[in-house]
Amino acid sequence: MRGTGLELPRSTIGVSRWRRFRAAVDWPLILTVIALCTIGLLNLYSATRGTRHHAKFDTQMKWMVIGAIGFVVATAIDYRAMVRLAWIGLGLAIVLLVIVRLLGEGAHGKGSYRWLNLFGMGIQPSELAKLMVILALARMFQDGELRDVPAMIGLKAIALAVPVGLIAIQPDLGSAVLLGLVILTVGFLVMQSVWPMVHITLAGLLSIPILWEMMEVYQKNRVLAFLDPSSDPTGNGWHTRQSIFAVGSGKIWGKGWGEGTQNQFDFLPEHWTDFPYSVWAEEWGFVGSVFLLAIFSFLLVWILNVALSARDRAGAVICVGVAAMTFWHVVVNIAMVLGLAPVVGVTLPFVSYGGSSLVVFLCAMGLVANVSLRKHGY
Amino acid sequence: MLLRHSDGPASGNGPVLPELHRRLKWIALVGIGALVLLGGRLWQLQVMRGEGYYERTVSNVVKERYLSSVRGKILDRKGVPLADNRPAFNIYATPKQLEPTVREELSRLLGLSGDELEKVDERLAIGKKRDANRPIMILEDQGRDRAALVEQALARLPGVEVHHEPYRFYPQGDLAAHLVGYMSQMTAAEADRLTTQGYDTSELVGRYGLESAWENYLRGKKGIERYAVDARGQRLDDKTAATLIEGDRVIGAVPGANLVLTIDLELQRLAEKAIAQSRVPAAAIVIVEPKTGKVRALVSKPSFDPNVMTGHLTRQEDAMLRSDPRKPFIDKALRATYPPGSVFKFITALASLEDGQAVEDESIVCNGAYELSGTTFRCNGSHGKQDLVGAIQHSCNIYFWRLAERIGLDRIAEVARLYGFGAPTNLGLNGDAGGRIPTKAWYEQHSRYKVGYATNAATGQGDVEVTVLQMAMAYAALANGGTLYVPQVVERVEASDGRPIVTYQPTIAREIKISADALEIWRRGMWKAANEPGGTAFDHGHVSIVPVMGKTGTAEIRSRTRKKEEEERDIENWNPKRSHAWFSGWAPAENPELAIVVFIEHGGSGGRVAWPIAKQILESYYGKGQVTVDPKAPKPKQAP
Repeated sequence: MRGTGLELPRSTIGVSRWRRFRAAVDWPLILTVIALCTIGLLNLYSATRGTRHHAKFDTQMKWMVIGAIGFVVATAIDYRAMVRLAWIGLGLAIVLLVIVRLLGEGAHGKGSYRWLNLFGMGIQPSELAKLMVILALARMFQDGELRDVPAMIGLKAIALAVPVGLIAIQPDLGSAVLLGLVILTVGFLVMQSVWPMVHITLAGLLSIPILWEMMEVYQKNRVLAFLDPSSDPTGNGWHTRQSIFAVGSGKIWGKGWGEGTQNQFDFLPEHWTDFPYSVWAEEWGFVGSVFLLAIFSFLLVWILNVALSARDRAGAVICVGVAAMTFWHVVVNIAMVLGLAPVVGVTLPFVSYGGSSLVVFLCAMGLVANVSLRKHGY
Repeated sequence: MLLRHSDGPASGNGPVLPELHRRLKWIALVGIGALVLLGGRLWQLQVMRGEGYYERTVSNVVKERYLSSVRGKILDRKGVPLADNRPAFNIYATPKQLEPTVREELSRLLGLSGDELEKVDERLAIGKKRDANRPIMILEDQGRDRAALVEQALARLPGVEVHHEPYRFYPQGDLAAHLVGYMSQMTAAEADRLTTQGYDTSELVGRYGLESAWENYLRGKKGIERYAVDARGQRLDDKTAATLIEGDRVIGAVPGANLVLTIDLELQRLAEKAIAQSRVPAAAIVIVEPKTGKVRALVSKPSFDPNVMTGHLTRQEDAMLRSDPRKPFIDKALRATYPPGSVFKFITALASLEDGQAVEDESIVCNGAYELSGTTFRCNGSHGKQDLVGAIQHSCNIYFWRLAERIGLDRIAEVARLYGFGAPTNLGLNGDAGGRIPTKAWYEQHSRYKVGYATNAATGQGDVEVTVLQMAMAYAALANGGTLYVPQVVERVEASDGRPIVTYQPTIAREIKISADALEIWRRGMWKAANEPGGTAFDHGHVSIVPVMGKTGTAEIRSRTRKKEEEERDIENWNPKRSHAWFSGWAPAENPELAIVVFIEHGGSGGRVAWPIAKQILESYYGKGQVTVDPKAPKPKQAP
């Protein structure tokens, strides 16, 4: 077992290697992820059924297979090895972000550069960057309090901030804010003193007016539309209004799977990417909506549980990072669907259509499983 | 409970990340806060307001569309259509959905001309302003070929629709145009009023003639079709739609009722042809059945083509029609009033005979002039010594002036009113006018009564004004022995399948109590006028195939007629200073079938201009079969 870092619990000594491995695997985590993926596929099938988008289901299936392989790989390779190479990984992510800025394809002609075409598959480097940032955070905080000279700490902090900035200028404000939130959350939860993070947060809030000036017109319009959705019902407020109609019209029990008129008749453009929760809520009602929230809650609690039982700080920080990423994705996406947040391109983990998001979240869960698997023994 | 304390790490040094342990309560607080926020919002949207949103999502997909009802036809008494419907294809587009590429594709597909494309853009711009989500007609009345091209390519033309909408069509062109009328777009005021009655602002409404007066019968009832659309407005198939729509999907349109007229299209055509051939600029003809008051022909010229009026009249065409001094839009048969001249003399004659102020064999000498309180009135000739019948035959004015002296203006007015003058005939069409029958009181009211006014009225001049229709009804009453009918133009109303809904019976306005003897004297005069040498009509032609009674009239125009001739367009034969020409009569003489009044505006002499037209109509009508030969009839004589 040496070399893989895989130490099995003592209590299982004497049992066959396979059974010991099986006992060490984090089944609740895997089952929860499978449940979420199933819900995602069911929902996507309903959302694209009978439309010219029905091929998206097959595409998503392929990505799911790739994601499953990613999960296994992310579980198999000792996370400590990954953490050791974290800064290199982050550097790679930054290079990709720069490349996408220079060569990437605009998404749907919206004038932003988010996609890289890799072997015929569209890849969003911003999603990959989230994983690399989490690993870098683990590396940064693995030795307890930061022991570097202040200059080095500053350098590392800047290295973490670079991807946020690069994503922001794609422009993909939603992802940038989200990544920032992940970094802040991890900082708040794993540093001895919260004050440095409080300062950074305050500085971030104060910079909002400057950010506003830097925003593209369509981004400003989206924020304005969020503040008053009825101001331009067919324009920027359209998504929010139609989404609220869809969610509300589900009532308590929902319209039934495949029966959601709002999504079936395309009242919500691109609802499979950013608004799958609206489809779900319309078809499964309040009961189904709360059920899905409950599954996400369980997943988050479980990841935190793994963090608490991790065998070292690096593992715990990875779990905290993945939990923070999942939490903010879920909260921002659902808040957006419910009209509580502006429309930003933040996906709902496992449920949204889109290969990058799915693969990254499956890999992230693989990391958690990795930490969970190696929690026993030194 | 899931957040149990770690049972590793094996070192037993406590948690590897004590900071996380310390902040668990904060995590729980934020997590529960987020759950409460999202869950609460879900509760608000789905449980509290769910019903409302549900309703709205249904209306999001279910749309309503009016199904236009087919307008009723207007048919002549034999069922020949005067107003019908033809299929028309209109191409609609929803401005919000119409991408520029679709516009290009449509233009390429149909090979639209620059003008057409300009019109399309203009209409789209209007539609966008009104309601960008509602389809607006961009190409009107397209041919079958174009409609088929667009329908085949609908998949490539999102936002475009082809509607089959029947168009009003008048197969007889301008025949009986004033009677049938036309349709046009509603005015803003009408739009306000009619939209509450289920009209759509884009609809046409009856604007003139029967189309306007019988609008409520003709229009039928629109149906409603409910259908489902997706966000792009694409119609969903019926099976899907059925699951979304509660209740009836289609409430069928009820087609409008058909009007069957009393008009004899053949006679109408003969009458209009006679006017056209005589090349008179403006005229009106009314032919009624004396026994029933049913109108057999109703002509007003010049007229218009209702097909042109119902379509889109160009501004120039419209201006041309409206500036015509002959006023093509005034129905000269029943809306305009004119001095009747000598055809009115029967009133004076009958009033005098009834009062015993005239006897058949009293002879009065006409020397061409008549003095009354210092004014000289001139007769149309010097007729010498003649009795009443002779005076009618020659249309001598002096005889009637003498009678007027005896009976006075008010007695003339009284009998005129008995015969329906001075009040609308109640045909209920085109503002059926009442005309004017002056009395002493009327003159006193306006200025001062002079004795000469009675003189004028006795021969249908001065302030007497009547409509051609009134004259026809009065002569019908003379023909039938004294029954004044309300003119009737609609025989019955039929449902679209031919089932009768209402059949109208002749309506009597009043029985006129005039002695048969008095009538007989007047009739004898009419007979002589039309059938004996020296008769005002006979001198200009004679009808041999059917015995005709007739009286001519030449109504002088007062010099105060506007002198705008320089401004007026040069129209052949049009001279606003010339007299109006009248002919009133009936045929056959005994047992009358048709009472006919021919009026030629500024036509000149009644005998020379109006009578030949009446003669031509009667000859061509009775020449086709229904020949009745009167043995008493004199030998035919050629018109000079």
